[in-house]
Amino acid sequence: MEFRTLLKHIGLILIAITMTVPFLWMLGTSIKPHHEVEELSLVPRHPQPENYAIVLRQKPDPYTGKYLDLNFPKWYFNSIFIASWVTILQVLTSSMAAYAFSRLHWPGRDKVFLLYLGTMMIPGMVTMLPNYQIMVGLKFVNTYQGLIIPAAFSAFGTFLLRQFMLGIPRSYDEAAEIDGANHLQTFLDVILPMARPGLIALSIFTFLGNFQSFFWPLVMVKDDAMRTIPIGLLSFQGQYGQQTELIMAATVMNVIPLIILFVVMQKQLISGIQLGGVKG
Amino acid sequence: MNKAVQRRQLLIALLFLGPNLLGFLVFTLGPILISLAGSFTTWSLRPSVPLRFIGIQNYIDLFTDPNFYFYFYNTIYLLLAMPISIGGSLALAVFLSQKLELRGPRAAARLSLISAIITAVVCSVLFLAGSGSIALVLLALGLITCVGLYFGSIGYRTFYYLPHFTAGAGTILLWMQLYNPNFGLINQVLGQLGIPGPGWLTSTKSLLGFLPLPEHFNNGGFGLGAREAIMIMGIWASIGGNNMVLYLAGISNIPPELYEASDIDGANGWQRFRYITFPQLMPTTFFIVVMGIIGGLQGGFETARLMTEGGPAGTTTTLSYYIYTQGFERLDLGYGAAVAWVLFIIIMVVTLINWRYGNRETAD
Repeated sequence: MEFRTLLKHIGLILIAITMTVPFLWMLGTSIKPHHEVEELSLVPRHPQPENYAIVLRQKPDPYTGKYLDLNFPKWYFNSIFIASWVTILQVLTSSMAAYAFSRLHWPGRDKVFLLYLGTMMIPGMVTMLPNYQIMVGLKFVNTYQGLIIPAAFSAFGTFLLRQFMLGIPRSYDEAAEIDGANHLQTFLDVILPMARPGLIALSIFTFLGNFQSFFWPLVMVKDDAMRTIPIGLLSFQGQYGQQTELIMAATVMNVIPLIILFVVMQKQLISGIQLGGVKG
Repeated sequence: MNKAVQRRQLLIALLFLGPNLLGFLVFTLGPILISLAGSFTTWSLRPSVPLRFIGIQNYIDLFTDPNFYFYFYNTIYLLLAMPISIGGSLALAVFLSQKLELRGPRAAARLSLISAIITAVVCSVLFLAGSGSIALVLLALGLITCVGLYFGSIGYRTFYYLPHFTAGAGTILLWMQLYNPNFGLINQVLGQLGIPGPGWLTSTKSLLGFLPLPEHFNNGGFGLGAREAIMIMGIWASIGGNNMVLYLAGISNIPPELYEASDIDGANGWQRFRYITFPQLMPTTFFIVVMGIIGGLQGGFETARLMTEGGPAGTTTTLSYYIYTQGFERLDLGYGAAVAWVLFIIIMVVTLINWRYGNRETAD
């Protein structure tokens, strides 16, 4: 029996290696000098960590003698700024709506909720074209508003938190009501603290989804200063596609914060997936 | 209930619902209606094209457009990776939920300490001897071994889930380099083994290339091509992702009595899986398959845009990428909206069929 357990470990370790090798290659290539990129090795003979400084525009590119024409630090800021605002707004609006759908009684509630659910089935491509025209009309194209506001409302988030709040026993709000709390107090002091795991899970999904979001920024962003990391990587690829080592350095800087976020929040995230069934 | 109370309740509800409802109306429900209406017009981003109602002309164009069928075929073809990916997730979950602890409370800690020491020594020797690459792989192997032996299933789960968590533009660019026909890691390793590497992202070959496909499907014959490259990357990114986590949750919810009963009956591992685990996980599988098909039919956009620009010869263009190019490159929003609505109808029909068939299966 002990031997079979060890065998299982060996199998699982081999699969884990398969999952990890691409990341190792990425890390190794990101510190290679250009002429070593084509060699089959994971570790460079002459490591060149300056690649990171070049991507971050602290040093000129040794082959052209010029600083890169792309503002990677700004993309970084944009991605974090936009994803943070979307997360704050989406969690706020979704939790308030979820309270209205799970705790308040009002005529037409279930019909409105069904309408929300129904729209979740419609592909994003359907709403993307009109949304672009709405942004043109509001003059939001190529602005932070245009990147944040349309993403700040989510039927999925409302659905997730409603399901979560339905699981909180009624007796808690009844007790608060007897103590003379109004709906705002009940929402803030009773329901939100109890819905914490759901809020955290939704926050991780939303932040991750928007940090990595590709589609909407692709149509909204028109110049380099507004680019987010995924859109920036696309133009990086277009302009410096031959310089694999620089692209990999940029990719490492895209991926590392996510790995840290995952390792730190793993427990909450896993329970969130099991709770809601899907990643946003 | 009297009117005044009802009105007050509606007012309170609106205060809570207001912000979300406003966004929902402006950015979801409104656009849905606009796009439906727009698909019957000459709606365009070009100012020179006047907005006219043209009935179902866009839909007629679409069904007589040979490219539509080609891109629909591509979309379905890429979906064929799904059974492998879901089957793999199930297999990983089954192995991760089996007993992984070694005998004795301190055995795991001791073993992982021993492997840490061995790794450290072997790696430093190799590194000093100048084989950095092998040292690095061994270092990773040693690290994973320590984590796996010490933390068991949670440790492995972390490694399996990472590709899914980091999936996005960055990992797509990473795989683009791995697939490079000349110096990419994959073809270099194949070359070392004496196997000529396929052209990957530059190849129109496919595993269904032996079929007599229509001329305009740009069939490059039987082999591994760009579509397979995208599928392999997709399997790597999703096999240990959410589906595996859902299966793990599903397995932990199976009543242990069922397994105890099967032990008394003398069932072997495969029989336990075939007659207990698999049927008990049917609802989870059903959910995963439905969500996978819905997502898959809408998929392929990021890879097409970042890796292949829909090529070579249109073989990686999916319906969602087609909608994007129609709308934002040809600026023909009306036609793009028509394709989007046909895609929606396809998704609806497939989901309803699933629902019918799947619910009957899970009711057994």
